Amino acid sequence: MNITFHKVMPTPLASIQHGEKSIWGSQTELNPGERILLNASSGKGKSTFTFTSIGLRKDYEGQITYDGKDVKSYTPDDWTDIRQTKISVVFQDLQLFPNLSVKDNLMLKNGLQNVFTEEQLKEMLATLGIADKWEQHCGLLSMGQQQRVAIIRALCQPFEWLILDEPFSHLDKANAEIALKMINDRCDSLNAGFVLTSLGEDYGYNYSRELNL
Amino acid sequence: MLNKILFKNQDKKQLVIAMIGAFLGITFLVTSIHYLIKVNDFGKGADILGPNTIIVQKKVTNSSSLNLTKTDFSPQEINKIKAESFIQDVKPVISNNFDVSFQTDDPLVPYFRSDVFIQTVDQNFLDVQSVKWKWEKGDEFVPMILPRDFLVMLNTFMSASGIPQVSDDLAMDIKFKFRLRDPNNSDKEEHVNARIIGFTNEVSSILVPEAFMDYGNQVYAPTTESKITQIMISGKESEFGLVEDLLTKRGLESKNSQMVVGRLKSVVGTLFLVVLGISVIAVFVSGLVLIQYLQLLLSRNSYEVRTLLRMGYPPKQLIRSFSMYFIKIFGLVAVIGLGIFFVFKLFLDQMFEAGGLYIGTNIAWLAIGALVLAYALFALSSYLNARKGIFNEY
Repeated sequence: MNITFHKVMPTPLASIQHGEKSIWGSQTELNPGERILLNASSGKGKSTFTFTSIGLRKDYEGQITYDGKDVKSYTPDDWTDIRQTKISVVFQDLQLFPNLSVKDNLMLKNGLQNVFTEEQLKEMLATLGIADKWEQHCGLLSMGQQQRVAIIRALCQPFEWLILDEPFSHLDKANAEIALKMINDRCDSLNAGFVLTSLGEDYGYNYSRELNL
Repeated sequence: MLNKILFKNQDKKQLVIAMIGAFLGITFLVTSIHYLIKVNDFGKGADILGPNTIIVQKKVTNSSSLNLTKTDFSPQEINKIKAESFIQDVKPVISNNFDVSFQTDDPLVPYFRSDVFIQTVDQNFLDVQSVKWKWEKGDEFVPMILPRDFLVMLNTFMSASGIPQVSDDLAMDIKFKFRLRDPNNSDKEEHVNARIIGFTNEVSSILVPEAFMDYGNQVYAPTTESKITQIMISGKESEFGLVEDLLTKRGLESKNSQMVVGRLKSVVGTLFLVVLGISVIAVFVSGLVLIQYLQLLLSRNSYEVRTLLRMGYPPKQLIRSFSMYFIKIFGLVAVIGLGIFFVFKLFLDQMFEAGGLYIGTNIAWLAIGALVLAYALFALSSYLNARKGIFNEY
């Protein structure tokens, strides 16, 4: 799926001076399968990018299209389909359910499309070093552990694009690289692309492209 | 899993209070509608006169006996009574101005003859089929409605003659005859066959179709002026008390039994109307509290709803979860309320019977219909509010 930003300018960012290479106010295309690093300092609109990309914010000028179709024309049913099968997201604030166990958090997402078995999910947790947290409430985990749960949850669906909003901000470099490898492998298996927003860190990954805000 | 997220954290105190309110409201709603219908139906079909109908005449006083005041009704008086808001209809009761005698004309029944008084009333006041209640000169017989007291008298006569007494149904098969005669010319007379088609406890004279009365008055008393000394009044449901007041105010009187039933129905009917009004308010208010609780729950779970939507949960599924939760709660309340109504009904039916009010014991389906309507309105309201709440988070 091709995602295009046609001179998009979010209302809250309209008063800020944006550079020539910034996505905001210019024509930018995200081509299928690309692995993109979106670098920007604080307050430049990384989360706004995430929210506008998946139709959660509509307070912008310009146009965002999926394969040429304006996202503002999508119905709630269209968005349900897109969020289940086309675009998956790791939000900056993670949006986990703190009163549910890791297992329930993952199964809640996995249950929509039944992508993985419980065993596979446990293996993924083990890969990221939190296998023992399966039954633990998410609210009791550290931020780094919660980030890893949120990453695995985002992988529990088919997608064409994965948008990750500062997903490794509470992870050490080694764990971030392990997580990024898992993300890369999943994207490879689905022929999907991802956009990873960052404050400047590239986590040693060889991206297709780097964009700025 | 969804229920675990959406309905786990709630303060159920308000929910329980609303459920109790809804339960009481529903119980009394069904009970009051059921008994309102049953009380209004009380007496229907038991007599030939329609419901809430009485025959009234002016009270006979010393002055009227001395011809100082009139006992007949003028058209103006009838129109004034008719104009009252609680009166459904008023029609004159027409009496015979000619001589009439009534006799048996059946080989199976001994000869019996008596001078009688016949009257006719507008058909709208009678619970008889219009096809039966008509007469034309040349017809085989005149249909008549007999005072039940008359049948008792006939049976007494039969018994005294050593002949078995007759039931209502048998009496309707006996052939009778009217003899019509000009009071001023005894040679001018005619015999007309007659058959009983019903009985009444509420009228003291033999009732005949209007066409027969007109014929008799025109042919056998053409010069006598017709006076209306009785009128039929039909009052509106549950407003019989006002009819009674009118009678007192205008110096009118009616047969006591008619008044007692009307008064009883009016009082009990009004009582159940008041209960019905309170029940409707209770159901409405408790429904509102439940809806408010739904909104509160949606508001408390806004994070959960928003996150689920962002994860790809269909809005329809979340709307269904919320609305079904409350539809089930109201359904549970409705079922319990209905169950309690049946228990109430057992006791109330016995109480009415003990008090001499033999109302029907079968269920008034309109009461169940009202419950279904209340349930449907609540279900719709739950759905719309859940929908609004979910899409607010979209």
